[in-house]
Amino acid sequence: MPETPNLEVVTLFALVANRYGDRLTAEQLDEIKKMVEGQVEMARALRAVRLDNADEPAQDFRPYRSDSSPESGGGAQP
Amino acid sequence: MSADLLFKPVRELAALVRARKLSPVELAEFHLGRLERLGPKYNAVVTVTRERALSQARRAEGEIAAGRYRGVLHGIPYGAKDLLATADAPTTWGAAPYRDQRFDFDATVIRKLEDAGAVLCAKLAMIELAGGMGYRQPTASFTGPCINPWDTGVWTGGSSSGSGAAVAAGLVPFAIGSETWGSILSPAGYCGLAGLRPTYGRVSRHGAMALCWTLDKLGPLALTADDCGLVLEAIAGPDAADPTASERPYRYETAERRGFRFGLISDVTDGCEEAVVENFRRSLAELGEIGTIEEVKLPDLPYEQITRIILQVEAVSAFEDLIGSGRIAELTAPEDHFTPYAREAILAHDYLKAVRLRGVMAREVDRVISRYDARVAPGRINEAPRLGQEFRSAIRSTAKDVMGAAGNGAGLPAVCVPNGVGARGLPTSLQFMGRAWEENRVLDAART
Repeated sequence: MPETPNLEVVTLFALVANRYGDRLTAEQLDEIKKMVEGQVEMARALRAVRLDNADEPAQDFRPYRSDSSPESGGGAQP
Repeated sequence: MSADLLFKPVRELAALVRARKLSPVELAEFHLGRLERLGPKYNAVVTVTRERALSQARRAEGEIAAGRYRGVLHGIPYGAKDLLATADAPTTWGAAPYRDQRFDFDATVIRKLEDAGAVLCAKLAMIELAGGMGYRQPTASFTGPCINPWDTGVWTGGSSSGSGAAVAAGLVPFAIGSETWGSILSPAGYCGLAGLRPTYGRVSRHGAMALCWTLDKLGPLALTADDCGLVLEAIAGPDAADPTASERPYRYETAERRGFRFGLISDVTDGCEEAVVENFRRSLAELGEIGTIEEVKLPDLPYEQITRIILQVEAVSAFEDLIGSGRIAELTAPEDHFTPYAREAILAHDYLKAVRLRGVMAREVDRVISRYDARVAPGRINEAPRLGQEFRSAIRSTAKDVMGAAGNGAGLPAVCVPNGVGARGLPTSLQFMGRAWEENRVLDAART
């Protein structure tokens, strides 16, 4: 029985093929499809982990003012 | 003179320079000659900076003669991975589309090394765009594959390939490399060198090519772990031009090599070559003489997927112009011509989940690692790959590297040192990874 296509892979691959297909050979598109399959697997591993509402992205954003210095608590300091 | 200078650690060269038994100009000439003569043999060099080197060396010689000794790097030659901007030479990022690129300033690391009196002799070859486009084989550089001085049929590792080859071939006493995931530890491990990946934010990235803003680190490759510490002290520190550069002060200090607590991840040798496992066992026996070794289990998290997704998304964003314009087709490696397109299919939701999980990973890894001075593991899973073959890589999911994923994802320091040779007579290596900002402790453990 033929394997059921993974709709997420099909959809995401279609996005890439639609955007860049005119630059790519059939072999390259095949490779990209495999990569998209890998990416979907990778995302599944992430989605399987539950996070709390309070688990924020590990990236620091600080409001910016050009007249702020790090010492005064402003500016883009980590 | 020449035979005496070859493969001398920075600390020994510095003692000779300080005592005025060794002229910085003669030392620079010696290494410039080797770079010009042997650099092409290893595809290790992009630009020999002869004029700048001799100017810096003459200044060092004059200052030392006048009693103004700046420190251990004064008058010591080095090379820099060609992703560091310099005002007086092209900065190619190892990639054909950027082969004529010029900047009108020096990267902060280059400036700090100049302040320390070091002598820039060459800009060194690297994998194109630091490997961020998904390369699979050693030829992915417009200067050709970097050849390992241990065996001209094998690769140096990457992406700081020229930095590895140049130090291993005695072309320079130390070099600066960069690591996003594995790019310092890989060439250090394959070339039988010490390589230090500092804590993220320890060293300013200003003037360095951005591959992944939240993962990129700059650090030294040298003959010894001790030399890595000496170089780190010169390049570490805050920088107004890089908001991620930490205010935390760093001073390289050594302590006695005893009383260590080492953590060992239970399945860390899975997938390693037999000789790597054997040499690792021997290293553990030796480490048992200076400390305790305890098996640890990391909490169950998708470490590799977290770091991989962040790397892949940041890399395509950093080079969106090159990718969008189709000019990635000008890159050297055929796989780099199309791999980045696939990454545009990674969903924002999944990327952000990875960034949220990264915080959990950083906390969990610190909770486990805080009980130890260092976690130990083989530096590489194998001896250096042959030049003509595809290599395995955790970034592409074709190899396992939980230590690298957790270490780079959480921004932790690690040092890699040689620990023997394998079945093909090539170096194998050992890595020590520590808590954030604990470079001195891992260097203590790695020092011989």
